[in-house]
Amino acid sequence: MSEPDLIAVRLTDIGKRFPGVIANDQVNVTVRRGTVHAVVGENGAGKSTLMKILYGVQKPDSGTIEVDGQEMSFHSPSDAIAAGIGMVFQHFMLADNLTVLENVVLGAEKLYGSGDRARTRIRELSSAYGFDVDPDRLVEDLGVGDRQRVEILKVLYRGARTIILDEPTAVLVPQEVDELFENLRGLKAEGLTVLFISHKLDEVLAVADDVTVIRRGRTVTTVDPKHTTARQLAELMVGSELPSPSTETSTVTDVVQLSVRDLSLTDPLGGRDLLTDVSFDIHRGEVLGIAGVEGNGQAELVEAIMGMRKATGTVALGDVDISAWSTARRREAGVGYIPEDRHRHGLLLDAPLWENRMLGHQTQEPNRTGPFVDRRGARNDTDRIVAAYDVRTPSIDTTARALSGGNQQKLIVGREMSGNPVLLIAAHPTRGVDVGAQAAIWDHIKTARREGLAVLLISADLDELIGLSDSIQVMLRGRLVGSVDPQTVTPEQLGSAMTGAGVPA
Amino acid sequence: MSSTVEGALEKAATTVRKVRPTWPVVLLALAGVILLLALLRVITGADDVASSGTVRAAIRAALPIGLAGLGGLWAERSGVVNIGLEGMMIMGTFGAGWAGYQWGMWAGVAFALLFGALAGGVHAIATVGFGVDHIVSGVAINVIALGAAQYLAGLAFTGHPGGGPTQSPQVTPMSTFDVPGVADAAHSIAEKNWFFVSDLAGIVNGLTSRLTVLTLIGVLLFVLTWWVLWRTTFGLRVRSVGESPAAAESLGVSVYRYKYIAVIISGALAGLAGAYLVQDSTVYREGQTGGRGYIGLAAMIFGNWRPGGLAAGSGLFGYTDALRLRSGGESVHALLLLLAVLLVVFGLALFRKNRRQALVSAGAAVLLVVLFLVTDEIAGDFTGMTPYLTTLLVLALFSQRLRMPKADGQVYRKGSAG
Repeated sequence: MSEPDLIAVRLTDIGKRFPGVIANDQVNVTVRRGTVHAVVGENGAGKSTLMKILYGVQKPDSGTIEVDGQEMSFHSPSDAIAAGIGMVFQHFMLADNLTVLENVVLGAEKLYGSGDRARTRIRELSSAYGFDVDPDRLVEDLGVGDRQRVEILKVLYRGARTIILDEPTAVLVPQEVDELFENLRGLKAEGLTVLFISHKLDEVLAVADDVTVIRRGRTVTTVDPKHTTARQLAELMVGSELPSPSTETSTVTDVVQLSVRDLSLTDPLGGRDLLTDVSFDIHRGEVLGIAGVEGNGQAELVEAIMGMRKATGTVALGDVDISAWSTARRREAGVGYIPEDRHRHGLLLDAPLWENRMLGHQTQEPNRTGPFVDRRGARNDTDRIVAAYDVRTPSIDTTARALSGGNQQKLIVGREMSGNPVLLIAAHPTRGVDVGAQAAIWDHIKTARREGLAVLLISADLDELIGLSDSIQVMLRGRLVGSVDPQTVTPEQLGSAMTGAGVPA
Repeated sequence: MSSTVEGALEKAATTVRKVRPTWPVVLLALAGVILLLALLRVITGADDVASSGTVRAAIRAALPIGLAGLGGLWAERSGVVNIGLEGMMIMGTFGAGWAGYQWGMWAGVAFALLFGALAGGVHAIATVGFGVDHIVSGVAINVIALGAAQYLAGLAFTGHPGGGPTQSPQVTPMSTFDVPGVADAAHSIAEKNWFFVSDLAGIVNGLTSRLTVLTLIGVLLFVLTWWVLWRTTFGLRVRSVGESPAAAESLGVSVYRYKYIAVIISGALAGLAGAYLVQDSTVYREGQTGGRGYIGLAAMIFGNWRPGGLAAGSGLFGYTDALRLRSGGESVHALLLLLAVLLVVFGLALFRKNRRQALVSAGAAVLLVVLFLVTDEIAGDFTGMTPYLTTLLVLALFSQRLRMPKADGQVYRKGSAG
């Protein structure tokens, strides 16, 4: 349908500074028409800024944008849309209480109106690319994968020929990722160009025709994924050799730090029980990994141990039964918690870092003096965390929202490690975090483990789970269905155990 | 975590049975209500529960509240909470009184719209332009409008015949008319005292006689609001900025513009509600609004931010208010029985889903029946509460799943998209 060597988009010497940060500096990307082009880099490397520049959300300080050989200057997204460029943001831009149709036609009512002609057009597009989305459903009722398809439909409806996807897989489960990639191949087959931002390298290699690597605001190189491995890509991204998650020697002691017995939790909505008779021990210096497909009770298990949900059964920390304790009391007793969704549970996004440092530790040193908040103590300690955990931020008065995901996570890890915890509950500690920060977080967990910390690790990243854990329990439909030895198990075996296909001995 | 929450929501959405308000359903429900009223009349002998006079009084009481609520609906659909409706309504009453006594009621309506829109404009500038908290701005407008109206009334009305600092001279109201053919026929049937038929005719008569053009406009505005907001692209854009301004902006919709327009329309509608009060009492009077702006806002919320729900809520309020005004004690006493029946129906409907709530409503029904049997009349001190109490109770019971516009009340700053 189109010549593969025609250039759809060429970005030359793009530069963009924000107060205190250089987001882009001489970035060069050339995207061939009819290809899937991936832009990879660590969190905060400047990928998103670059794409916002291309979509007209932000104006570059320097450099040029060419679309189909013509130099362009975008003042707003409307200009970019007019030039045939559309963008799907990482956080969906959808109005939940409107229908798919309404979300799609909004702002583009001139094209096909907002009635039956628009409905027909959406059906056409939807079936042409195999999206299977009903235009009259409320977006609220759709799952994440469908919402993403609505976002892509919005872009296609406006006649975009080049589609930017900002970290599209971050919110998807593996099966949905496969479906998305199928959709992307369909788009490519129709001659559309896809710009794909990610830091998940396996996915990039699976779907992209070209890969451009960005590090600290600069383009490093563009490589052919057919001749590149994930490890090479990662090293290009970080700029150095990579660490791996594997722990060295066992540090497991025989002192039980956390003992969970017969923990059960019924579904308040009346569904299947969320947890059934979960029992396990974690010793000092041990990392216990919980493997399971998401939604099988891991989140509920964590919340039950933290005291955020009322469950039956006993939870003992050391020799003390803490089943009846409040969450605050459990935290004060030395339970550190890295929540799975840092935006919902871990941070106050609009509060400065030093206030976030106190969060959950507001009753402890160095955050209080008597009944008052110890501002100076908290601020000094935040400075320490920022330095020790390499949180890249202009200052500790910056709001948490302004930090990239990896830096937010490092702040949380730093905070939770600061109270001298005896037990750390880490739910997806490196989710949505780039490889550099990931390695740092692994190091911190390993160090603490060596010093006798007990860790409960939940992760969807099987390499991480196998590499860090001293033992792994498999969770299925709210039950622990078996254990595997991380020394011998492969990710494939673990994956099949998680789906209930049988636990290898 | 999020996946389980989503799953639960999906489950909840499928288990809740949705009754679509199609025409047959609406007509059946209406017939049911009239049948209930007819039964009530026969059983209790309270003749005013379905008389044409009651219906007329109900409309008079309901329309100002409904129009104010409609104003609230426009603002809140665009994401701006408008607690300043009361103040905008006060501006409307002053505008209608001031222009009305000089140039006639139609000029009064025009100035009520204008003054209301001005107050709405101030609210829009504060909340949309400067990002002031919506409640703060709205309360300020209520306070300022009250003072401004008092001051202006003192300047404009003192020394004119019949006028003074708290009251305008007489405004000549609009003339009334009957719907030819229908009103008379209904009137003669209503006289016959046939069960159900006469009740229906009484209601029809009340709806078709002694109307003003203003009443018609008021009723049509509900339909028009629904059509504009849910059937036009303009309405889609207004709703989108109330649901997700960031999404709207990312698609090139000018968020500020649509919020401005919606809040100004909101003020104009509240002003019109004020004009209706002036038309009704043929004079501007201080304190004339009597909190109707707030009641309208509440009716709009209980009406789930929809014109139909709002109309039902304000209609119910108007009806109970009319009952109270006409033969107070007796009619309200009869109403107790009706309320008990409704509670029992509600309790039965809920029995499988929520046992506790069902038992509570059954208990309340028993209490009401006992009260009905041991008394002959409700004391005057309590009848005054009836409209508020009934509306609150019925709406609270029937509006279990309220869903406000998602970005309602949130200050949006341009450039927050992406």
